[in-house]
Parts: sequence; structure tokens; C-alpha cells
Amino acid sequence: MYDLRLWLSKKGSLKYVSHLDMFRLMQRAVRRAGIPLWYTEGFNPHPYISFLLALSLGIEGEGEPVDLRIVGEMTPEEVRERLNAVLPRGLSVVAAAPPQDKPAAIAFGRYDVYLDPAQISGAELQDVLAGGGLTCQKSGKSGHKKIMKTVDVSAQLREWQIEEKDGSLLLHVVLPAGSTVNLNPLQLLEAVSEKRGAPVYACSAVRTALLKADGKEFR
Amino acid sequence: MDKKLERILPRVQKPARYIGGELNSVVKDKEKIGLRYAFCFPDSYEIGMSHLGIKILYAIANSREDTWCERVFAPWPDMEEQMRQNGILLYGLESGDPIRDFDMIGFTLQYELCYTNVLNMLDLAGLPVFAKDRTALSPIVMGGGPCVCNPEPIAPFFDLFSLGDGEEVNNELMDLYLEHKKRGSDKQAFLADAAKIPGVYVPSLYNVSYHADGTVGAVTPAGGAPETVTKRVVRDLDKVAYPESFVVPFIDVVHDRVTHEIFRGCIRGCRFCQACFLNRPIREKSPETINEQCKVLCRNTGYDEISLCSLSSSDYSRIEELLNLLLDWTPQEKINVALPSLRVDNFSDELLQKLKKVRRSGLTFAPEAGTQRLRDVINKNVTEEEMLKTANIAFSGGYCAVKLYFMLGLPTETDEDVEGIGLLAKKVVDAFYTNPDRPAGRGVQVSISASSFVPKPFTPFQWEPQATAEELQEKQQHLKETLPSRKISVSFHDIETSCLEGVFARGDRRLADVIYRAWKQGCTFDSWGDFFKYDVWMRCFADAGLDPAFYANRRRAFSEVLPWDHLNYGVSRRYLEREAQKAMRAETTPNCKQGCAGCGANKLNGGHCDV
Repeated sequence: MYDLRLWLSKKGSLKYVSHLDMFRLMQRAVRRAGIPLWYTEGFNPHPYISFLLALSLGIEGEGEPVDLRIVGEMTPEEVRERLNAVLPRGLSVVAAAPPQDKPAAIAFGRYDVYLDPAQISGAELQDVLAGGGLTCQKSGKSGHKKIMKTVDVSAQLREWQIEEKDGSLLLHVVLPAGSTVNLNPLQLLEAVSEKRGAPVYACSAVRTALLKADGKEFR
Repeated sequence: MDKKLERILPRVQKPARYIGGELNSVVKDKEKIGLRYAFCFPDSYEIGMSHLGIKILYAIANSREDTWCERVFAPWPDMEEQMRQNGILLYGLESGDPIRDFDMIGFTLQYELCYTNVLNMLDLAGLPVFAKDRTALSPIVMGGGPCVCNPEPIAPFFDLFSLGDGEEVNNELMDLYLEHKKRGSDKQAFLADAAKIPGVYVPSLYNVSYHADGTVGAVTPAGGAPETVTKRVVRDLDKVAYPESFVVPFIDVVHDRVTHEIFRGCIRGCRFCQACFLNRPIREKSPETINEQCKVLCRNTGYDEISLCSLSSSDYSRIEELLNLLLDWTPQEKINVALPSLRVDNFSDELLQKLKKVRRSGLTFAPEAGTQRLRDVINKNVTEEEMLKTANIAFSGGYCAVKLYFMLGLPTETDEDVEGIGLLAKKVVDAFYTNPDRPAGRGVQVSISASSFVPKPFTPFQWEPQATAEELQEKQQHLKETLPSRKISVSFHDIETSCLEGVFARGDRRLADVIYRAWKQGCTFDSWGDFFKYDVWMRCFADAGLDPAFYANRRRAFSEVLPWDHLNYGVSRRYLEREAQKAMRAETTPNCKQGCAGCGANKLNGGHCDV
């Protein structure tokens, strides 16, 4: 028995499949692939599959970590191949290796956000991001009651880069991710839209990597 | 994915309903396809994807090299709004192509309150809703499913209906269509030929006349169409095609598991139950076939649950044999087997022990009526004694929650019958506390679910008046007031939707005008309480000059021509009349295993019935 960390690529329309649905999808995929998983031993046994960090609806992922507990001798390479043979289009295992870092070590997500230059220019985007005072609304809880909270986006925004080429506009950005603070690039764009008083939509947004607090890649 | 679609999906709830691409969904090269078929379920994705019929017919159509069948569901109102604002036409989930350009569009009609969704889907597809306004050969709009046993209220919107089992007739229709397409013939020529296929009803070839009192005078066929259309029956369930894989949805749908139909039809003959009479004669599938098909389906889907379905699963003659086969391999693969629709009178201790090996869920009984007299009227041949005996077996086996299903507004029902519901539930509560083997330290919970009886075509109650909304309201109130224990909870089905269902179930062709008006005024998703607009519907009846009470609350005479009399589902009208008379005398009819009551349905199967 050993723990295995898979790195999933989730592309195209699969970005509309939610975190909860991904768990069920994976559970069925490992069954179809015939991968011997360790089952929990409670009243209601289920296979041990853990998505380390949710990916917001509408965002693609290039390497999303999922932990499995394998019973027996099947090699990481074989697990990867078997799963890739049964996963739906748009989803694939890009790597499989024993985990190096603890899940709690995840601190940031690195994103590529493709924008429409007709909506906003690179220079304006730079000004808005650097100008400070960005906020967005996030649903939260106060006790049992659902409330809307205002989040200070600028305080969480540290590192970004704007790239313009061949009539496209690409924003590279690092945002907090993990079990305590989370901000996704679509919320960042909401804050930008709010500040400039005109909407900016993402043509697409991809999480390219997860980082630890020291800025090194989570593995 | 289409750019416009890409832009709107982030703005709607559950966008995964609209993306396709699920595991086992079928994608073909459209250049090599002669016939594109849109299989439409006029309700939400979650409901439609739970339906077994669509899975079977999808697999059969896609097993043809010349055909590509895609799935289409009713977009939720938020999606509809976005589609209309952005000029997106209703599309097939597999290709994303507008279904307006398809060859055939098939709707499955499972309940009457989906009718406005049919119109809405045609409109979203960019098609005229009335069949007469769709003049080209394609798309042919067809309907199937239980509601087509009386399709008259929606007849003007459809080109043809397919009655009974669809597995074989769909292929015949596709072959005929391809022939006509190649020949370049027009729609009328195709429909005239289609009407010659057994089981196919082309409503435009039938003229309906009415008496001055509003009842049907005669239904007259034209252009060589048959006088009566007889439903299709698949003779051998072991030989008929069954899918080797199901499309596995991304999102959670209502029934998300391997579903397997173990037999068709029902031996019981409960007089209110349309499904029983529409699906006769009884045809069983062999345990070996079921077991093999379940294995393949589990392997291809990754599901960890199998649900064996039928109208009354414990009536399956080889149930223990089947469970033995399944329990031979499912536990080690951690697959659950569920067996819904069990009868209380043949639910044995051994069966319970087998079921305990699989995961335990709640226990549901359907006594349907509160007193023995009324159960005799409806021919629900279950006694209180049997029910309590079964409840006791279940309590000893560790169950503590029981759900009881009843109907209000049944023919001849009195206050005493309504009170009987609470009294029966109380006896179940008492049975729990007097059972020495009951689960220790736990209480019992009995929940009553009371729906409203809706008389349906092809049942012995097809001539009966439906209880009015006021009467049903009083009955619900009376039941609530006379509940004898706090361990019993009760929930009711919405009265107003039942009233509308009653009108369309036994309606005639003139009602199409009401449906059209209601849809025009924004009625869709009528079976969803949030969207149901009873006042708008009532206004539309008034505007169309039709009285809902004429259809729902009127007693019909045996001599009356019923709007569906030209359709034949196997059970003879004489048998139904006989059963109706016996009901009034509270006389029961033994089930088919005890003795053949001569319903006549076996004629459709060469005189054979699997009992």
C-alpha cells in the first residue's frame, strides 16, 4: 500500500465540472480502470481519493493534485496509463508520483488569464492593478447565516505580469490559494471591472501551478 | 465550443448541463451520417438523464452506421434567457449543432405537465411549433412514451407518434425516412407511408368531429391510415438490444446508477395504475441475461450501484435466482444492488436477508388507500395483516423508518377512508413498539405521502370523475386533522398540478389551443412548483372557451366515444368496463398468476404472457 499523487490536466468544457462532481467522476474512473484503491473502513466504505484544492468553476487546470491510496503493487506509471485510457475528453493524468509536500503547504496559485484587448488595454490593466483599492464581493457565512463579504483584493495581489502579443492580452498572476485564504482570477477581474466601471471578462483562465509559501512549486 | 456559448455558460447555474462530452457519449463523423436524430427529453438534464428509455433508444439509434443520435434537454429558464438574448439555437449535446437542421426530432412524453416544454424546445430550436407550419420533410417531429396513449391535446404539434415499445419501430421509421430522403419526397408522402407501419399514429390523417355537448362524435382516418393504431410490443426481452454502456453524467442526476429493467408489464391490475395496463402483456428477461448485462454496464460506466427496476420487482418469477447471480460478484466489487418496487405481500424473510447484504435504505410501502373496502375498489390486493407482517419483518431486520404512499380522491372515497390512512399508519407505529426484536434505543418514523388520484386512459377508472380542487383540499385537511400519532408525518402532492394533469390526461385535440396560449404567456416547467402558474392556465382555458371541469370532473358513460378510442394498447375496452363495474361493487380481481382475467393484451404477443 502506498500513497500516490496524480497531477490532472482539466481542459476545455471540463472546466464547468465542479469540485464535488470531479470527486464522483474520479471514483468511477478508478473503478473502470481497475485500480486497486484502499477503502475507508467506516460504516459506509468508500475509496480514498482526495482532491487537494478546489478549482473554481470556469477555470482550467494544468496540474491539479489528487491523492490516491493504492493497495498492492501497481506502479505509478501503470496507474497513469490505465486512467488516461478511461477518462473523458478534456481530462488526463499528466504525472503520477509519490507526494513530496503536505497538502497544507499549498499557499498560492499561479494563473494565466487571457483577456480581450478590445475590452481593456495592457496599460490600463497595469494602472488599475497597481493603483490599489481593489475590492470584490464574496459569499461567506456568519454563524449559519449566508452573507456577502467585501474582500480587499489589492492586499492579496503581489505578483503579476502583463504580456501583449499578436493582438492578445495575457495576464500572469499569483493569487493566494489554500485552506485559509483563497482568491481566484475571476474574482480579481470582478474587482477590476468594479474599479474602472466597465466589465472585463476572461476569454479563458488557467491555473498553471500551485506554489508553497516560499514561492517554490508544490510537489 | 461555440464562442457565444462559451461567453454565456459562466453566467448560468450548473453549466455542465449544457456541455456534453460525458463519458460514453457518442460522437460521430457527420459527413458519414445519413440521418441525424435529436432525442429530446422535455425536462431538465437531471431528470432526463435518469430516464432508462432514452438510454436504450440512444444506444439502438447509435448502433446504426447511418445514424447519429444526440441528446437534448430543456434548458433551465436562466439558460433559456441567455440563449434567446444571444441568438443561440437549441443544440444537440454531442455535436453542438442546432437541431433545427436534424432529420428527426423525437420527444419522450413521460408526464402531461411537460407539454409546454415541448413547445418551448421547438421554439428554441427555431422551428414553428405547429406541425402544419413545418412543411419540409425534415425535421420530422415525433413523440413516444406513456402520454402518447392519449396524445390528442398535443397532436397538432407533432408529425407522428409511436405507440408502445420503441426498440423496433424506431428502426423501421428511420429506414423509411432514409428511403424517402433519398427519393427526395415530401413530408406528406413520408407520413402516409409511416402510417402504414404498425404502432405509428399520424394524427393529421385523422379527422375528429364533436357532438354539440362537446364530446367526441367520431375519429375518421383518411389517406389509407388504419382505423385503429395498435401499440408495438417487443416479444423477447432477452433478444432485444440493450445498451452496453450508459452516458455517465458529470453532475449529480436523480438516478445516477446502472438501472436494469427485469420485466415489462405487471400482473397486479390495480385499477388506478396506467403503467400496468399500458405495458401488458408481461414479458420477463432471464436472470442470466440481466446478470451479464449488469456486469458489462458496471465495467463500462464505473457505477457502484445497480437498481433492478420494474413495476413490481418481487413479482419477477426468478427473483431469488437473479439475486444469487448478482450477489456472487457484486460484494467483492463493492457494488450495491437495490430492488425498489417490492410488494408487501410477497416480501419474504429470505429476500430481506439477501437485501441486507446490500446497503440498507428506507422501506416504502404503497397501500394506496386507508381501508380494506377502498383497497378492494382499486384492486390493490394487500391486506392490513400482510402489511403489518412485512413491517414486523423489516423492524426485526433493523429498519426504523417506513414511508407509506396513499392517494386521495379515489372513486367512492368517504371520510372514513381518509381517516383510515392515519389509523393504518398508527398500527405500523404500534407494531414497532410491540416488536421485541426492534432496533434497541431507537424510535420509529412513519411518513405518509398522499398524492391526488388522477384518472387515466386505458384504466378501469377512465370514465370516473376526478375529485375537484376543493374536494381534494378538504380531504387533505381532514387527513391532517385526524392523524393519531406524533410519530407520523404527512406530506401532500400539490393539488393544482394534479388538476391540470387530469385535464390533459383525458383531453381531446381542442386543448392544443390552451397549451399554445399558456406557453405563449410564459408557462414552462409546469411540473416544477416554482414555475407553475395555475391562474395563467385558468385564464387560457377561459380564453379558449374550454372548461377544465368538462375534461377532469365529469363522469363519462360507457357509450361515449373517448378521444383515445382509436388507439389500442392491447387491453380490451370490454375488460376495462368489466373491471370498472367490479370496482363499484368493491369486488377484487385476482392477479394474473392466480388466474387470467382476460384483459386481452396477450393477443399482441401471439397469445403468450410470461406468468
